[in-house]
Amino acid sequence: MTDTLLCEHRLRQAVLDGDAVAAARLAAEGLAAGVPPLTLLDEGLISAMGEAGRLFEAGEFFVPELLVSARAMKAAMAVLEPRLADQPRQSAGRIAIGTVAGDLHDIGKNLVATMLRGAGFEVDDLGVDVTPGQFVEAARAGANVIGVSSLLTTTMISMRAVVQALEEAGLRDRVKVMVGGAPVTPEYADAIGADGFSDNAGGAVTLARRLAAMARPS
Amino acid sequence: MTSRERVLMAMRHQRPDRPPFDFSWGFAPAQLHRFQEATGALDPEDYFDADTRMLRPSPTRLATDYSRYLGELPPGAHVDEWGIGRRPTASPDAAHAHLDGFIYSLLGASDERDALDYPLPDLDADYRYQDFAARVAAVQARGIAALAAMECTIFEVAWYMRSMERLLLDFADGSPFAATLLDRITAVREAQAGRYAASGADVICMGDDVGTQRGMLMSVRMWRTWLKPRLARVIAAAKSARPDVLVFYHSDGDVTAIVEDLIEIGVDILNPVQPECMDPAALRRRYGRRLSLWGTIGTQSTFPFGSPDDVRREVQARIEAVGADGGLFLAPTHMIEPEVPFENIVAFVDAVKSST
Repeated sequence: MTDTLLCEHRLRQAVLDGDAVAAARLAAEGLAAGVPPLTLLDEGLISAMGEAGRLFEAGEFFVPELLVSARAMKAAMAVLEPRLADQPRQSAGRIAIGTVAGDLHDIGKNLVATMLRGAGFEVDDLGVDVTPGQFVEAARAGANVIGVSSLLTTTMISMRAVVQALEEAGLRDRVKVMVGGAPVTPEYADAIGADGFSDNAGGAVTLARRLAAMARPS
Repeated sequence: MTSRERVLMAMRHQRPDRPPFDFSWGFAPAQLHRFQEATGALDPEDYFDADTRMLRPSPTRLATDYSRYLGELPPGAHVDEWGIGRRPTASPDAAHAHLDGFIYSLLGASDERDALDYPLPDLDADYRYQDFAARVAAVQARGIAALAAMECTIFEVAWYMRSMERLLLDFADGSPFAATLLDRITAVREAQAGRYAASGADVICMGDDVGTQRGMLMSVRMWRTWLKPRLARVIAAAKSARPDVLVFYHSDGDVTAIVEDLIEIGVDILNPVQPECMDPAALRRRYGRRLSLWGTIGTQSTFPFGSPDDVRREVQARIEAVGADGGLFLAPTHMIEPEVPFENIVAFVDAVKSST
């Protein structure tokens, strides 16, 4: 049965199963069989991580399932990477992401960064305790989406300062800001002038795609 | 009616004169400072006459050197008795002073040997409980309920050592390292729980955060494989030492999916029941007298962002929906952070004390 499946589809399933050994092997087999590396990337890896995000949003996958899928994706990527280097690729967007100043919680932020990479974004992970100035620098360096995370109401209120700093730097009209974290609500995102909100890592990818398309210079 | 009688009645589903209350997870430093300025008092629990006091074992005499697990520590970092390092935030904002990040001691561990070799604290040693029963009795003699602290019971101390990402991957992989580490932590907790119960403490406060704002962090199946049986052993150790000791279990987030399992293994009280993501009234309807609720006044919503009237209304609404036949203990669902207006704390206490 599996023999009749295309390599990229088996690769996709291996990533969804969180099987890193099989994913690396299938990526190598695909390349050896002459499947274009971009096909293995798009139809195998990115498609799998998109499905993982959908299953997470639907409550069928939990954090551990996302982590094992991401690990399998990375194992296959290591095989594909040398063959992708000379391929022209359109990035899904460039996003700088970090946990807001004062806050050192990074589990949710890391998960979102992982899922964005899985979706083909170039991700600049600024880490935790990120000042408004660091977000501004990242926007200057070329990020067209800024992702800001916080776990506490104490630090959530500093998210507004990030939006303001981008405005003061004259960058607000060319970058989009998305926010998330346990206490953050859509109403709060609106109130501080953010462009979008998601309450989960799968939804964050969908939102980032939409915002990156809007932020891209026409 | 004394505070202790009120707590015990409510937690055994009899109707006390009013629901008991406390500030379960305390005041953030900046909030405590504001309280002290405003009142001239030192301790909010004494000042507001909270119905409980939390007790801990005496300090350890061990001075375990965890440097080979932690490497060189950044300035301002400290290490606790589990060998977990914490570094302070770089934020100059005084409101952030209590926030810190982990320096993981077992991030680089690879096999079961590493879990067997790791030095654990001596929370099972006699000397740490020598005066515990006397301290419990002293609190109870003041008419106050004595709580025994055991937060971050198993899963949280384990991931504070390993990192959450690595520990969850270990779970997914069926790692013998993780099983051994968790078993060793569980054994320490069983000893601690037995001593707490034997000392006469009214409530043992256990907990591991396994919920997120929108449901379980891990699948119920994974929780049942890795955490439920171990938590069950800790609870059994407490209840075999003293069957009527009350077991309180804390998890942030929405843990609706495991409430039935928690009751099955002996949990009497669920904390903090964040109203932003769990419905206290639905829990009461579904579990009735099998479970008491402790918390339920939101620190993600009403406490920081509501008015004093909003706080009073939430207290009243909760009593009507959940507390008619006991089984309700009112408290902020988490630490009272610096942005909570002081008037809201006063309104909370007033509303509880003036309720019936």
